[in-house]
Amino acid sequence: MIYFWNNYIKLTSLTLGGHVKVKIFTFVLFLLLAYSQIFAGGFQLNEHNARAVAMGGAFTAISNDPSAIYYNGAGLTQMNGINITLGSTLIAPVFSFRGVTPAVTEYDATKQSFFPTHFFATYRYNEDWAFGLGFTSPFGLGSEWDPNWIGKYLAIETSLQVFTISPVVAYKINDQLSISAGLVYSFANVKISQKSPLALAPGSPAPFNQNAYTSLDGKDNSAWGYNLGIMYKPNEDLSFGASFHSIVKYTFKGTATTTGPSQFAALLPNGDVSANLTTPFNLAVGAAYRVIPKLLISADFQYVGWSSYDTLTINFATPKKTVSSPRMYQNSYIIRLGAEYNLMKELDVRAGIYFDKSPVKDEYISPSLPEANRLGFSVGAGYKISNNLRIDASYLFIRNNQVTVTNSREDYTDGAVVPEGAPANSFDGTYNSYANLVSLDITYGF
Amino acid sequence: MKKILNLFFASFIIVFILSGCQDRTDLTGPTPSNGKVDFTRLVSLGNSLTAGYQSSALYADAQLYAYDAQIAKEVNANYATPTISYPGIGGLMYIKSIDLSKGTIVIGVNPSTGTPTNTGYKAPYNNLGVPGAILNDILNTTSSTTNPFFNIVLRGLGTEYSQAKALQPTFLTLWIGNNDILGYATSGGTSPYTPSAVFTSLFNTLGDSVASLGCKVAVANIPDVTSIPFFTTVGPVMAMEVPWALFKSMGVPGLIYEKHGETIGTGVADSLALLTGQVLITLPGSNYASLIGQSTGKFYRDNHYPALPVGIDTTKPFGLHPQNPWPDALILDQDEVNTAKTTTTDFNNTIASVVNKYSDRFVLVDINKFFKTVRAADFAGGTVIDGIRFFTTYITGGLFSLDGIHPTGQGQAVVANQFLAAINAKFGSNFPMIDVAAVPGSLILAKRAYEQSQKLPYFEPGTFDHILY
Repeated sequence: MIYFWNNYIKLTSLTLGGHVKVKIFTFVLFLLLAYSQIFAGGFQLNEHNARAVAMGGAFTAISNDPSAIYYNGAGLTQMNGINITLGSTLIAPVFSFRGVTPAVTEYDATKQSFFPTHFFATYRYNEDWAFGLGFTSPFGLGSEWDPNWIGKYLAIETSLQVFTISPVVAYKINDQLSISAGLVYSFANVKISQKSPLALAPGSPAPFNQNAYTSLDGKDNSAWGYNLGIMYKPNEDLSFGASFHSIVKYTFKGTATTTGPSQFAALLPNGDVSANLTTPFNLAVGAAYRVIPKLLISADFQYVGWSSYDTLTINFATPKKTVSSPRMYQNSYIIRLGAEYNLMKELDVRAGIYFDKSPVKDEYISPSLPEANRLGFSVGAGYKISNNLRIDASYLFIRNNQVTVTNSREDYTDGAVVPEGAPANSFDGTYNSYANLVSLDITYGF
Repeated sequence: MKKILNLFFASFIIVFILSGCQDRTDLTGPTPSNGKVDFTRLVSLGNSLTAGYQSSALYADAQLYAYDAQIAKEVNANYATPTISYPGIGGLMYIKSIDLSKGTIVIGVNPSTGTPTNTGYKAPYNNLGVPGAILNDILNTTSSTTNPFFNIVLRGLGTEYSQAKALQPTFLTLWIGNNDILGYATSGGTSPYTPSAVFTSLFNTLGDSVASLGCKVAVANIPDVTSIPFFTTVGPVMAMEVPWALFKSMGVPGLIYEKHGETIGTGVADSLALLTGQVLITLPGSNYASLIGQSTGKFYRDNHYPALPVGIDTTKPFGLHPQNPWPDALILDQDEVNTAKTTTTDFNNTIASVVNKYSDRFVLVDINKFFKTVRAADFAGGTVIDGIRFFTTYITGGLFSLDGIHPTGQGQAVVANQFLAAINAKFGSNFPMIDVAAVPGSLILAKRAYEQSQKLPYFEPGTFDHILY
């Protein structure tokens, strides 16, 4: 266990009951946990275009519409004139937890909806050069549980919004090969809230009928990153693509606000906090093949560098204090398959499937956003209304593998996390989650 | 090509559909086997412990965690309780302040009173525990003019026993007799206790009556009252904080106290006796511990004595002089401790013999033995239950509410598990234990706090005035 605030404060003069020195402690370790989970795979959004989503996200080697700015900037050289895409995705995730083992009581997270919006504009300057500007939310989800649910010391409300503005330039080396580079400007905000028990000593009962409630707000107004892309088309029917999204280093600054019984006021953490966080790099490689003139299939392999995220550090301003926590993230990957079929002249139908490997070991899974291996199933259609106007829609169902945690590092009775072994009251149980995503995009070419 | 496509889409759809399902097979917890136990109509006879009384009051939030209420919830049995709205009846104690730097705790009492909220319930309540009830009351008392709980719980519908009978219980729990000795002990030996012979006679009669109901019965025995925080909190602190060595050099051998019936104190308890519990100081004595050696009559003022007892001289150093002795009401001396212990042992022998007499349907819940184990573990790192390290200590221990006598919600869960364990062992059932860690804390923190410097918990005047057991 790690304790914050001098670990605990001794009540020197009182020896209630003779042998137990009354001690009191509070800790904000839960903040670490919440922060750590917030950038986990579940918060990463790869859904920035209805057409790409419908094809299981296997779009790196296609990228022949404005969303190439996100998926693979090198694809910009496939477009002419000015093209814009505006769209949004409705994300409705559903989380539940059953436990704590051996109990099988089911707790459902509050149902929420998210509407990350994206906008892309491309401009073909000449035969060799193309430019693009994109706005996306590459991270942006949240979870909310009942304030009195059994995991209230681990997570109540967690939300993250990350926005990026990305100018991209693409260069066509020859008819087969294009490359691109882009700058990523990002701003973000987080909100985390959680309860803490009031115990009189580490590991001792928390006999009081009240809890402390801590809410943490933070934001970073300028973080920077870059992206690179390459596309190779050996012939008309076959293309290969690769894209790289760099890490982005965020420095969140914000405030921690804790309320609780006045008797404990001196111990409740309040004040400025800052935390450095780095989102992982993403490397995607893909291939697309036009099997028959009407059928395009594609496959992607996306490698996510979560292992860079091995330690989390949070700084408290008053009193000055730094807390670090090992996170043990593992690199993960996503495998994507997609197909597009030209059903009628104006109508394309699409389907896709992907597998997304969880970057978090089971024992670190937190209810702030339960991680799991995921399967995504998507269908969609694109309709060409006129020569320069197209509408794309997609539906994506994401099913998280049911995860039964049997060795959780988190203690649901005091919110602590242990670096080794299992805590006294492991937050063991079974997570189930799924999400429905509906995307709609309008693309207009001038 | 078309075949491959069809195969692709077919498998896509199959995987899609399958993945939409949730596998719940591993989630059905251990199927409780009832063995020979039927909790359909669970009825509880007893006193304040049974009622779920906490921190000197009976109120709904605490009644919810009475041991049988928790058992009923665990086994999905219907269980009616004579609920009382917050802050209950009795004078709910709360923590007014905790000064963490000085290590002080001030306990206050809520002046408001709740009202019964389940008065229209058509049948007798399943929880028939009446705070303040002694053994004799179970078979013989239907109402009371002094104790409001008889009327609230029994509603003039008969005795605890007769109402239990009317419910035709399928399972009955009985935990009675605590007050037959507890009142004596908490009064510092000034109140009477039920003589062992009387207890034996009454309990045998009650045992016969309960046995005649034909249902299975769990009978709990009486924990050693002298090990609860009401008695164990103050003495050791007094032993260590008062400069006894200095007083000894001045010719005072130790705490001078009133023996039973005395006014001029002749009792002497040295610091070792206080430390080791040979004599026990009651929790209300906490307020007076810091006054030892001072010229004070605070005890007599606080307790509204019209005049000082003849012979008492409050100009003498309090607790150190025979004419201003530590009051009898605040101490159980060695004789009184022995009386309490011997009587408890007698009671428990009687309870065991009655359970034995009906061993086909009665099971003994040996709370006394269990509590002894927990008490012994206090000095060896505590007792870990569901990850929580419990002690029998006041406030910090987690088991006892602010009155130092009644269990917290978690303490009640621990008791409930003792019942379940005994029932499982005896009747071949395997009801799962209650997760003690999932029971919320129940010590009430006041909304407003203020500072007060005391080395011991300080109890505002009147805190213990209306406590019932």
